[in-house]
Amino acid sequence: MHFRRYVLGAITALPMLSLAPIARAQVSPDAAKAFITQSGQQLVAVVNADTSTAVKAQQLQTLVNQIVAVDNVGDYVLGRYKSVATPAQYSQFQTLFHQLLANNITYQIKAFQGIGFTVNSASVVGNDTVVDTTITRPGEAPADVGWAVDEIDGAPKIVDVIVAGTSLRITTRNDYASVITSNGGQVSALLTVMQNKINQIQANQ
Amino acid sequence: MQHNGILPAGWGKSGRIAAIAAPALILAGLLSGCAKAPPASDTADYQAYQAQNDPLEPTNRVFYSINDKLDRYAFKPIAKGYIAITTQGIRNHVGDFVTNIGEPARLIYFAAGGKPRDAGTALVRFVVNSTVGIGGIFDPATHLGYPETDTDFGLTLAEWGVPAGPYLYLPAFGPSGARDAFSIPVAFFLTPMEAAPASTAMTAFGWSQTALHLVNTRAQFMDAIDQVQATALDPYATFRSLYRQSRASQLQLIDQRDTPTVPDWFPQPAAQAAQ
Repeated sequence: MHFRRYVLGAITALPMLSLAPIARAQVSPDAAKAFITQSGQQLVAVVNADTSTAVKAQQLQTLVNQIVAVDNVGDYVLGRYKSVATPAQYSQFQTLFHQLLANNITYQIKAFQGIGFTVNSASVVGNDTVVDTTITRPGEAPADVGWAVDEIDGAPKIVDVIVAGTSLRITTRNDYASVITSNGGQVSALLTVMQNKINQIQANQ
Repeated sequence: MQHNGILPAGWGKSGRIAAIAAPALILAGLLSGCAKAPPASDTADYQAYQAQNDPLEPTNRVFYSINDKLDRYAFKPIAKGYIAITTQGIRNHVGDFVTNIGEPARLIYFAAGGKPRDAGTALVRFVVNSTVGIGGIFDPATHLGYPETDTDFGLTLAEWGVPAGPYLYLPAFGPSGARDAFSIPVAFFLTPMEAAPASTAMTAFGWSQTALHLVNTRAQFMDAIDQVQATALDPYATFRSLYRQSRASQLQLIDQRDTPTVPDWFPQPAAQAAQ
């Protein structure tokens, strides 16, 4: 039932989901491992701290902005429609993308409680360096999660999360592309749906 | 990530007629609703349409909507009740038990697909887990160096070079494809229960095992499905993407594991060389 481990890992990792596309520069396996170890420790410390959900959400959003290449991920997710979008639409997209990521993190905070994080190994896969980890949660089966790391602007950043062979950045890109193609290739339609989703998540919190 | 379908493969003997008839009925229904392709002159959109390979999307979305309602009002509540009265440990053992029942079929799929080592692993797993693992409730084979590698007839066809074909979202079964849909009827016949002499007890066992598999699998994906439905802009497209990536990954894993390996209990070559 190893598949279960991957699926459960996907849930845990989803908020970090975003994930960038274009490899800027390769990070050595040792450096990537050290980066993910440090990031994981920070994540666990925030989630398991004795603070309110609102405080944790704020701290997690700050942490994610530090360790994930969110803008690059947004570019990847928008894909070829980046050239179709007007500068104003592109700017609005990035703003909404950051907000959606923040909301997704808040949505998952309770599920993170009691999380444990073990770094296993790191290897170069294509243009990325992927660090394999095992994530544990109380009452749940351990989950195997791969973190793709690239060097962005001189610092290592997470650009993808891989669970059960599924890339979360590719999944998100396909999700967003479907919205655009279902609406005649209009980026404005994507922006409307993103805003509606943000409103919906906030209303349910 | 093959979830959000209602019925797992290996449904049971009594469902065989429905299983065989289902693909034909489904295909007939699917043909009634096709997505409109963009003109080939619109290169980027046309290429995206081709890559998406979901020409029956309108009909698939109707089935997705039906499954979603079935799941929301029937299967999800049952799975939540099941989670409430079981522990993760129990659910893991149920999963191991169901997985073990599927090993003989995997052996055949791997052998037919020209994967002798994967087939051998399935055989060892079935023998070890059925005996030492007390009927498959435990999974000692994994700890001996024989981890589970999942497969089905659709992946065997893929090994034969059959392309995936258009994406299909099947009523009750969920995400699939023109090639993978053939794994449904085949799975009905390739179970240990089929080989056993017919009896009322065996039929009851088959249905019970199927129901347990169904509920346990839905419980296993509870958080994942909730997450996708809560955060994805288009859950249908998200499940489609996850399904396709998952199938590609399964194929990769099958090929990767069909290589000479040394079980954990056997002296490792590296250790021997160091001595």
